[in-house]
Amino acid sequence: MNLFENMTLAFQNLKANPLRSSLILIGMAVGIGAVLHVVVLGEMTQKNIKERLEKLGSNVLSISPGFSWRHGQRSSTKTVNLTWDEANDLMTQSNVITGTVPLYSGGGDVAFLDKTWSTQVTGTTPNYKVINNDHLIEGRFFNQGELDQRARVCVLGATVYEKLFKNGSPIGKTIMIKSKPFQVIGLLEAKGESWSNPDDQVFIPLTTAQGRIFGVDHLSGILAQMRTAQDYNEALFDIESTLRRNHRLTDELANDFRVRRQDFFLATIQETNKELAQFIIVIALVSLVVGGIGIANVMLISVTERIREIGIRRAIGAKKIHILIQFITESMILGFLGGLFGITGGLIFNHFYIGEDLSLPLQWISYSFLICAGIGIVAGIYPAFKAANRNVIESLRYE
Amino acid sequence: METLIEMQDIAKTYTTGGVEVKALSHINLQIKKNEYVAIMGRSGSGKSTLMNIFGCLDTPTTGRYLFGGKDIQKLNDNQLSEIRNQKIGFVFQSFNLLPRVSALKNTELPLVYTGISPSERLKRATEALKHVGLGNRLHHKPSELSGGQRQRIAIARALVTQPALILADEPTGNLDSKTGEEIMALIQELHQQGNTVIMVTHERYIAEHAARLIRLKDGQIESDEQAIV
Repeated sequence: MNLFENMTLAFQNLKANPLRSSLILIGMAVGIGAVLHVVVLGEMTQKNIKERLEKLGSNVLSISPGFSWRHGQRSSTKTVNLTWDEANDLMTQSNVITGTVPLYSGGGDVAFLDKTWSTQVTGTTPNYKVINNDHLIEGRFFNQGELDQRARVCVLGATVYEKLFKNGSPIGKTIMIKSKPFQVIGLLEAKGESWSNPDDQVFIPLTTAQGRIFGVDHLSGILAQMRTAQDYNEALFDIESTLRRNHRLTDELANDFRVRRQDFFLATIQETNKELAQFIIVIALVSLVVGGIGIANVMLISVTERIREIGIRRAIGAKKIHILIQFITESMILGFLGGLFGITGGLIFNHFYIGEDLSLPLQWISYSFLICAGIGIVAGIYPAFKAANRNVIESLRYE
Repeated sequence: METLIEMQDIAKTYTTGGVEVKALSHINLQIKKNEYVAIMGRSGSGKSTLMNIFGCLDTPTTGRYLFGGKDIQKLNDNQLSEIRNQKIGFVFQSFNLLPRVSALKNTELPLVYTGISPSERLKRATEALKHVGLGNRLHHKPSELSGGQRQRIAIARALVTQPALILADEPTGNLDSKTGEEIMALIQELHQQGNTVIMVTHERYIAEHAARLIRLKDGQIESDEQAIV
């Protein structure tokens, strides 16, 4: 008796009890459908977060001022203690920091015609665009010449553009930043929120910000780009030692600045999301196990109903192994069909619900089939052994 | 004629609910090839147990049972299955057909377990069904056929492997007397074509078809006589 015949036989027997077979198939299908769905959703979220992480600029550390120390006392306010020179120092003092960007940010109103919007005005250098992996929808970022000349040019974040212009090209228009006229030369692509909204900003040359707008000569932050994400510890060490030396901090004093990873926030979300997905998968797996128990149950009933048949087959020469294979094939097919329906249903559901055909689940589809068939086999083992080991004479007489 | 079956002091004891029941004891007999033997006895006389031992469905508690020279007690479950499959054709009182499959599928079932190719199976099953007069009912299911026709399928199934022995257990028990006679005629014909037949019955007139009559009583052979032809 070959595999194909066993399959045909199994299908015939399943067809003989259509209601029972289909009920158990639904159970199985729901289980595997749920698993697949969760997996797909999880993968999508992961993909999403990864894309956003890439947009945020990879390998970037953000250095901001902390509480300073005076005469061994910690001051109660955050004190400015970062300078443009220090930003340059960090790059020269470290092998793993490939670039730094000095920043000065402050709140300020921006206005265009009758519209006013309160936003963050950030002074920086042309390198900012490179390190942050920013893309311009229109126009350009300011250049070194404009930085040197304290030029009154600005680049708009997506939110600011939205508030002031809504539509139409802003390039060449003049807007007021803190009551001073600036020419718009560029518009940045939206990046999406993380812990703050990077799109709600307007960028101007650092020299302009320090000299013309805020009247300061220090920085409110430095961005430092590492060679790779693996260099974090070394970069952190280099930053700390350089800044501590510059700030003349003795060993017993804590840092008067803070260093954090740009991607920290999203990384945390990613972790949480992973854990959540695993948790849901466990729940979905439970429903698969329930499906498996259902199959085992149906197979037990099926064995009881077919004791006579087992007796006949054994009497005319079926070996125990033949009976065993017959029943295991049947339960395997139940599992497999359950998987088939679940996967088809899941894909259709994904198509309409998420509105997106996913390329990713192909490997999961094959896993799902294996899992389902496996569950079918495992669920069928006990009933099949029961069937194979029945006494032939008693089975023949069974009414 | 060559000896097909030899029983030497066979006994069978069952234990049910802690009580030992002697179903058979001191059974000694020989059956040669191409014999037609009827086994008679009341219910409880042990004829079913004897039949099960003949058919290798059961093994004796003590004694030796040689089938075609092989000591049955030395065989394992798989080997017994092979003997049932290839050497014995069963005809049961209640037909014991698979209800959901056609006459053809029922008939070829033993060949499935022998491992014969589907095309060869089809050919042999068709031949066997034609042989029992069901050549025009190949694709009918048992439920679409009369009792006599069902028993013919069962006989075709028993014949299809060309077994050394055909075991018929009350083959007419569920049939009316006219159909019963037809089935007996068919079995008679099979015997005349060279088959060895052992038949259990409790009806005198059925037993009279056989050439040899063994009577059982209380698990022992009461008489063993050749019919006077």
